[in-house]
Amino acid sequence: MVRRMLSALPLVVLLSCGGGEPATTSTPGGTAEAPADRRDSLIIAYNADIENMIPVVAQAAHDTAIYGGNLFYPTIDSEFDCSLKKVPGLATSWKWSDDGKVLALELRDDIQWADGKPVTAEDIAFTYELIGDPNVASPRISFVERMVEGKRPLIVDPTHIEFHFTEAYDRDTQISHVSMDIVPKHILGTADRKLLKGHNLSKHPLSSGPWKLAKHEAGQRIVLEPNEHFSGPAEQRPKLNRVVYKVIPEYSTRLLELQNGTVDLMESIMVEDADMLRESAENIKLERRGWRFLDYIGWNLTNEKFSDPKVRQALGHAANVDDLIAKLLTSKTGESYGRAAVGTITPELCGVHNDDIVPLANDLEKAKMLFAEAGWTDSDGDGWLDKGGKKFSFTLTTNAGNKRRQRASVILQAQFKEAGVEMNIEQQETNVFFENLRKKEFEAALAGWSAGLFVDPSTIWHSDTADKKYQFNFVSYSNPKADELMDRGLRTPDPKEAAPIWKELQQVIYTDQPYLFLFWRDDIVGIDKRFENTTIDVLSPYKNLHEWSVPADKVKYQR
Amino acid sequence: MLRYILRKLLLAIPLVVGVVTLIFLLVELSPGTVADKYFDANASPEVQQMIEAKFGLNQPVGVRYLKTLRNLLTLDFGVSMDGEEPVFDLIWQKLPNTLLLSFITLLVMYPFGIALGVFQAMRQGKASDTAVSVSSLFFYSMPSFWLAIMLQLAFTYYLPLLPASGMRDALAGLVEFTPWEQFVDVATHLVLPGLAMGLAHSAGVARYMRSSMLDVIRQDYIRTARAKGLSEWTVVTRHAVRNALLPIITLMGLSLPMLFSGAVLVESIFGWPGMGLLIVEAIKAQDTPVIIACFFVFTLVVVAGNLLADLLYAVVDPRIEYE
Repeated sequence: MVRRMLSALPLVVLLSCGGGEPATTSTPGGTAEAPADRRDSLIIAYNADIENMIPVVAQAAHDTAIYGGNLFYPTIDSEFDCSLKKVPGLATSWKWSDDGKVLALELRDDIQWADGKPVTAEDIAFTYELIGDPNVASPRISFVERMVEGKRPLIVDPTHIEFHFTEAYDRDTQISHVSMDIVPKHILGTADRKLLKGHNLSKHPLSSGPWKLAKHEAGQRIVLEPNEHFSGPAEQRPKLNRVVYKVIPEYSTRLLELQNGTVDLMESIMVEDADMLRESAENIKLERRGWRFLDYIGWNLTNEKFSDPKVRQALGHAANVDDLIAKLLTSKTGESYGRAAVGTITPELCGVHNDDIVPLANDLEKAKMLFAEAGWTDSDGDGWLDKGGKKFSFTLTTNAGNKRRQRASVILQAQFKEAGVEMNIEQQETNVFFENLRKKEFEAALAGWSAGLFVDPSTIWHSDTADKKYQFNFVSYSNPKADELMDRGLRTPDPKEAAPIWKELQQVIYTDQPYLFLFWRDDIVGIDKRFENTTIDVLSPYKNLHEWSVPADKVKYQR
Repeated sequence: MLRYILRKLLLAIPLVVGVVTLIFLLVELSPGTVADKYFDANASPEVQQMIEAKFGLNQPVGVRYLKTLRNLLTLDFGVSMDGEEPVFDLIWQKLPNTLLLSFITLLVMYPFGIALGVFQAMRQGKASDTAVSVSSLFFYSMPSFWLAIMLQLAFTYYLPLLPASGMRDALAGLVEFTPWEQFVDVATHLVLPGLAMGLAHSAGVARYMRSSMLDVIRQDYIRTARAKGLSEWTVVTRHAVRNALLPIITLMGLSLPMLFSGAVLVESIFGWPGMGLLIVEAIKAQDTPVIIACFFVFTLVVVAGNLLADLLYAVVDPRIEYE
């Protein structure tokens, strides 16, 4: 399910341009000999096998997390610090034309593929040609549709290229659109485009980054080893002998292996298991990824019970989110891995996230008052609210198999009961659940978003349903004011100028309460303590693997 | 004999077609398709239509069904929709692993189950018989995935003797392993999944063996053997067990499908790269060609297992002849 949700969001794109350090002060190197201080292996418990490693057609977040920044040298790298900060990669510098419609990149010419061929402007042009070719069916085809045909990009000379856009739009987004990971033209140039997904490269990628895919055994292991042909900056050369992604589909088995010390890293650890690890696994350090995952209840606004904003506000006052966080996302040691949410823009986007919105307080009296204003009172004294002889009762659907959501629904059920609202819980198989969301066949749904790190709330909130782009508006939210703010925000190139628009939008949406926003959740990553320089980035835990190292006296795997 | 085999095989054809039809219908009726993965905020309707066309999802159900049957008939399993790899290759990678695990399971369940059954029959009605009955019933009714998790906890955490998952060490083949180390590596990885699948089944075998032994032990020829003055050991092993094994051999053929279905859960827990895991992933991804091909192979295994049981029966019991 996580995979499905991740792949449903622009985040995938983001992950695919991660990795690397500033390249500005680097010395170009030839093929590297193994540095003397390279040692030890990192073994990662991974929940999925490789699906496709051709960046043009890759879909799964678990693939991009492996190759992003590790196998492919990024065109423009990103580091996340309040917003995506751009860091030179293949492009050493970039600048916009005055009208914001042309983005010119200057390229370095010393990066090479693992077969010794250079990475060129031709490769970049070819990559975009593939993305734009309907036969390839790239999920990123819409990015290219925003560029002028024949100039996506225009090769000025071997180290200068220009991307021409049909109109100016948010510059962070433009950057992400021009820094798709590059594929080798000399290999894919003759490939059958209709069958590109099945090309040999999908499982045997040709690396241009610090690592190469040394071995892949289906369903068992994905092994990265230092790419001896890596010609980028010397400080980006790996300091570990290898990284092994061990495919273990079962959560409890991954956890057990982390606890036993037979793997060194695992992501997405549940809060109660983090408590257990604190007590029983001294060699494991627990790190946070940042606020990326939102849980919410979407009210189906076409349902007459929820079409009245007063009712939704009343439900907001009836719910006690702090209590949920305390019960579900707080460790025994008192560390909270949850944060009350006020919108779909993550608090990680500081400067854009509206910190001034005060979450609705848990206040039963206020809730009852609002319900009464909307016509819902307990007229027959049976403890349940009613209106026109009908009891306030609805069904909350959620996806089966998610323990956290299961528990959250039960807690909320009790909270709503206090206010006289009957909530029935229905768990549906994941595919069924998403299908019903899409078809808008639900009353209320407990679901989640994994937030993108550049701002585009329109896919979730825009009411223009004629445009299929906005198909994630499951709850049928529609507010002309919000639409106008989104249209304006998206056409504002300068993120600083756009920020106040986004803040206003968050306030407008929060007031409307189309969702009962629950909480942002922090992902917990467990890592063996012998590793140093393990910066766990909100983008991906595997983003800076080339920086990871082990001191000589702590090496576990000598061979 | 040959005619018998031929007739059995011909009878299997409607069975295979039936299974494939049923699976096809189930996949068809379940919500969503493989194209949903492209359900991206930025994917235009044209792209979605193209992808549906690429996978042939825009054709009518009937056409797709007939195509599926035709392809299976020619043993052409097609291409996986998820990874666009030939399905045959996927199965070829995984089937040997599942067969290896099944073989080890058979090694656990039969010798162990038979020994228990004989032991019980010899002590019929005594406390030890009851004790074994109770404990084997306990294992028999235990879900294999739960047993798997308990074994994992016991032998990798509390008593760290064995690896918890996978088929080989994470570094095997990357750093030098001697042939002996390689053998030990795979062998140790087999122990827990083998036990998890084998223990519960061996309890079943023990029940069969016990009752079969009890039948045999009352026969006249056993009394004759005892009267000849043969030792009790010789009577039991030479005369009783051999005859009591007959129904157990039939059971062996029938247990193949049981092993395959058990593998689905146990392989998930132990991360064993076999058919079980392949089918789970394929179902999650709604990868129709892979799902159908897997069930096709499963059905063939069931048919083969049944046939094998019939034939073995004739081999061990000369009184049985197939016309």
